[in-house]
Amino acid sequence: MKFKKVTAILLAGLMTFSLAACGGGGSDSGDGGEGGGSSSGDGSLSLMLWDANQQPGIEEICADFTEETGIDVEVQMVKWDEYWTLLSAGAQGDSMPDVFWMHSNEAERYMSNGMLLDLTDKIAESDAIDPANYPEDIVNLYSYEDKYYAVPKDVDTIALWYNKTMFDEAGLEYPTADWTWDDLYEAAKALTKDGVYGFACSATNNQAGYYNLIYDMGGYIINDDKTESGWDDPNTIKAMQYFEKMTQEGLMPSQQTLSESAEDVLLGAGTLAMTTMGSWMVAAMRDNDYIAQNCDCVELPKDAASGKRVSIYNGLGWAASAKTGNPDGAWQLIEYLGSKDAQLKQAELGVTMSAYKDTSDAWVNCADFNLQAYLNMMDDMVIRPYSKQTVTWENAVNDELKKAWMQEVSMEEACKAAAEVMNETLAEENE
Amino acid sequence: MAGKNKVKKTAQARNEFMWGWLFVLPTMIGLIVLNIYPIFETIRQSFFKTGDFGIGDKFVGLDNYVEMLSDGETWQALINTFKYAIVEVPFSIIIALVLAVLLNRKMRGRSAYRTIFFLPMVCAPAAIAMVWRWLYNSEFGLLNHVFHSNVKWISDPKIAVFAVAVIGVWSIIGYNMVLFLSGLQEVPHDYYEAASIDGASGIRQFFSITIPLISPTIFFVVVTRVIGGLQVFDLIYMVMERGNPALEKTQSLVYLFYEASFVEKNMGNGSTLVVFLLIVIMIITVFQMIAQKKWVYYN
Repeated sequence: MKFKKVTAILLAGLMTFSLAACGGGGSDSGDGGEGGGSSSGDGSLSLMLWDANQQPGIEEICADFTEETGIDVEVQMVKWDEYWTLLSAGAQGDSMPDVFWMHSNEAERYMSNGMLLDLTDKIAESDAIDPANYPEDIVNLYSYEDKYYAVPKDVDTIALWYNKTMFDEAGLEYPTADWTWDDLYEAAKALTKDGVYGFACSATNNQAGYYNLIYDMGGYIINDDKTESGWDDPNTIKAMQYFEKMTQEGLMPSQQTLSESAEDVLLGAGTLAMTTMGSWMVAAMRDNDYIAQNCDCVELPKDAASGKRVSIYNGLGWAASAKTGNPDGAWQLIEYLGSKDAQLKQAELGVTMSAYKDTSDAWVNCADFNLQAYLNMMDDMVIRPYSKQTVTWENAVNDELKKAWMQEVSMEEACKAAAEVMNETLAEENE
Repeated sequence: MAGKNKVKKTAQARNEFMWGWLFVLPTMIGLIVLNIYPIFETIRQSFFKTGDFGIGDKFVGLDNYVEMLSDGETWQALINTFKYAIVEVPFSIIIALVLAVLLNRKMRGRSAYRTIFFLPMVCAPAAIAMVWRWLYNSEFGLLNHVFHSNVKWISDPKIAVFAVAVIGVWSIIGYNMVLFLSGLQEVPHDYYEAASIDGASGIRQFFSITIPLISPTIFFVVVTRVIGGLQVFDLIYMVMERGNPALEKTQSLVYLFYEASFVEKNMGNGSTLVVFLLIVIMIITVFQMIAQKKWVYYN
């Protein structure tokens, strides 16, 4: 009896503690995890990415690389949410993959802590890689204190998608490159009926959604010094009020609906007439039968007052672990992936638009959509706003804006509150 | 002669002592490396402003705690966690207990039923979450389709946490049931026979014989489920998107910990939350230990 009691107490005690163990465990669990496994002695390389849509194409390019050099590449796909958890655990436990994708949200943290292989000298010696051949902003994303840490992989721009069938049925002209955001509003109004929504933009869809209009209208998210938020800028607020109006008038599905079924799902289900999407979605759009038959894309609308048509853009980079067991192999792979041929192939296979100058033209033919729109959007591009702690302030801003998207507070109040929380994070960052 | 014997015994005792330690050593090492050390590491980190990748930790005293306790999000998460546990724990225990009693007699297809109820336990949490997400989906989900309703099961702040708790109940019933079944097997059959002869009804038997006799099992299940319920994370993480308007009213303390530690990469804040949860759970468990004197019978 006594014994049972003691066991029960001990067991309970152990269980309470088992969670606490999770906290520090993060640093230990990196080893041996599927994302770990830095290069083994046989000279093969591990490569990690987060987009399942791109995996087949990347594997094909890597097969070419293996044929050329005899170095095996093992491609692993880890979903975006787990990717960064795994990578940072790997960085802490010295078990990062050899080569992996880098994103502007996280790059500075990795570069400033010396987690990425310094590629400066190798790029200087290389015939295949010249930073001048890639968009300057993207090269800058992956440079830190005048050193290069990644070779640009791709660029992405944003375009407007619409359901042709719905436009036909409503007797409306298809959207054109001359559209303004006001035209979009009118069309959305005409198309919203019978359970169909005219337009959709989810609260977390900043890059492909509201950032574009903000920069069209002359607003901004973060200043050039990365010290101050632009969320309380009058133009930023004005842009966000455009979406507020659409929400209020019921032209957009509620955020509840969007959080359960994202824009692409609604478009594919035939309950959405228009939405904006990044070029990285094209492969998924092509593989959806309904969308392939009924939808098409066109350049984003302009702002009537400023006449500007901005596309937020971003680009991933190929980076290597600073502690890879095979730095030469890793560099060979990155050099290959960044070379003109591989970049061209990436575009031809429809993986994504490529970062290398003038290689994206081939991408236009990868699917039966008006993909030229995405290339045309490259005429006026703004790099996706970032700083060292992008994720922290982006999430904090989203939490504030959510209140406005839910119509609990006005968009103006939410934007001002967002600026405040963002400025706090930025102040901490610059300490 | 006697002296020699004694020496021999100690040698043997020493031998046994050594082997004993050798056998528990792998477990001990595992516990120390994977549990004990991280616990202290977590507690240490909660007093630090942690640098990226574990480099450059800065001691900040109680700052993390002050920041955490003055943040409304923490308290909201605590409320959410309790809401979840208050639904999950009683329902999963009552339903499992009733099922266990019903399945603890000779009947056709008994193992089939037991297997069916235990199946959710075997499924991968990710698969469970995916299926339930579809069931709950307000646009295309089965629930709304069948009931011709338009309830935002998992994105209405008022009900989302309960919707998630229902998944929790569903997935844990089988496990609780098996524990209760094992408890029921130990109840001697004579008691029921005697009670029947005395004319006690089935329900009376259940409350007067079954419950008191398996109360140690019930106690064990309650304690472990309360702890498990307060540590809920995976269901919320997999069912709720980051942009979900109901997230703030649904996220548990462990979810906040995950966000702080692994999304915002702020291990210090994350550790503080875990220590906070640890204290909350310990207090509740202590009360349960005291309360057990009133209702748990160890024959």
